[in-house]
Amino acid sequence: MNFGPVTGGPGAPTVFDPHSLPSDDNVNAYTFCVELKGSQWFLQKGKMIAYYGRIDFNGVGNGRFDRLLRTSFHSPMHAADWVVAEGQGKMLLADRAFDVNSYDLDDGNLTIRSGNLLAYQPSLALKQSIVPGFLTLIGTGKFVAASNGPVVFMEPPLRVDPQALVGWADCPSPCHHYDHGYMSGVIGGLRSLTGIGGSSGEEHQFEFVGAGTVLLQSSEMLMAEQAIGTVGAGAEAAGVPGAGYGGGHGQQGPLGQLGVPRMPGQLGDIQRRLGL
Amino acid sequence: MPFRELNSKMVEAQVIPGQKMFSQRGAMLAYRGEVSFTPSLTGGQGGVMGMIGRRVANEQTPLMSVEGSGTVMFGHGGHHIQVINLTGETLYVEADRLLAFDGTLQQGTMFMGSQGGVMGMVRGQVTGQGLFTTTLKGHGSVAVMAHGGVIELPITPNRPIHVDPQAYVAHHGDVRNKLSTALGWRDMVGRGSGEAFQLELSGQGAVYVQASEEKL
Repeated sequence: MNFGPVTGGPGAPTVFDPHSLPSDDNVNAYTFCVELKGSQWFLQKGKMIAYYGRIDFNGVGNGRFDRLLRTSFHSPMHAADWVVAEGQGKMLLADRAFDVNSYDLDDGNLTIRSGNLLAYQPSLALKQSIVPGFLTLIGTGKFVAASNGPVVFMEPPLRVDPQALVGWADCPSPCHHYDHGYMSGVIGGLRSLTGIGGSSGEEHQFEFVGAGTVLLQSSEMLMAEQAIGTVGAGAEAAGVPGAGYGGGHGQQGPLGQLGVPRMPGQLGDIQRRLGL
Repeated sequence: MPFRELNSKMVEAQVIPGQKMFSQRGAMLAYRGEVSFTPSLTGGQGGVMGMIGRRVANEQTPLMSVEGSGTVMFGHGGHHIQVINLTGETLYVEADRLLAFDGTLQQGTMFMGSQGGVMGMVRGQVTGQGLFTTTLKGHGSVAVMAHGGVIELPITPNRPIHVDPQAYVAHHGDVRNKLSTALGWRDMVGRGSGEAFQLELSGQGAVYVQASEEKL
């Protein structure tokens, strides 16, 4: 390790001070340090674990941030979950002992699971994705995201289990893929009628085609997803995906009985969808 | 075909037509190509009798068969994954730790009592493994899940190894195991060291130990 700061002897934990903490870089795999020099960062609530210096944390509802919000925060439903950090100093970000990494966007776009995004620079614009439960970042700048285990980057064409998806960049057409081939035919009919054999839990994937990159993690069931991916009241119009799913917590489909939690991005039960 | 480790929590496997694989249901993370995932009615091999055997032994686990042609990524619940390549020997592992394994491997259940008699049964109770455990035999790869990282400890004939039963993940080879107790009056009055039971493995092979005492 080449962090350089004071070590308490061989094998002892490294001791950091305000000067030895890295600037906008990882402290270790689970902690990221952001340096603020009068600048601002958007930060998801509860992801800051410590800070040095004078840093103010203000909710984004605050009137002073009107101009900032106009350029870089287009997700009114998530306003309650985000704060603006500004001032001088260094702050440490972490989330559920997940691996934390920063990503640089250069005039690019990336869509990420809302619960996995920790912080971003205001030079990026945060928008709610059309896919419920995901947020899209557009522009140039740095953002910090968490994943369970290191993120694996994959090129399309690819089909991904909804729980394993962290996000994607540039893929033009993320869509749902249903695979229930074993439910057809005589044996399959018996299966779906009697329920014998259960389901494989892999009937539904997200499919990615075209140019781009898909980000994957090992699937996670340790902590409930935060309900910030839903479209709120007032937006319950036809054609808005996720509308009417607000407060869909505790909703359990047949997959839910198998311990597979209902993801924000998941549509209705397959049987209902396909008329089975 | 061997699994390729993408990182500590994800493995990748090639699926070739005509070669079946088994994996825990819901453990697929992503795939390329045309691959089908069919819930295995009998929970593995051996037909209906195999299923009944596993049900009786309480070693049934929701498995699915993976067939087709393409690449599949496996991972589950953020658990660490250890890939074990078997070349003819037998792997002893709890069924719910199995993430994925080659269809060429022969799946079976073993009565704990057959290894170490009554003490083997006591061991099963202490470790929470129950009275039975799953065996996989043959040539092929197995991906096993563990809480925390896994280390592989070799077992050689005159160097038995002691393992915390809760940290035990799996073992393979020609290994005899017995539960050794270090129970004293302190344990009786509730002032024990918390390490009263240990698993002693001797013979020729390897044991896999997780860096956690948490069960899956």
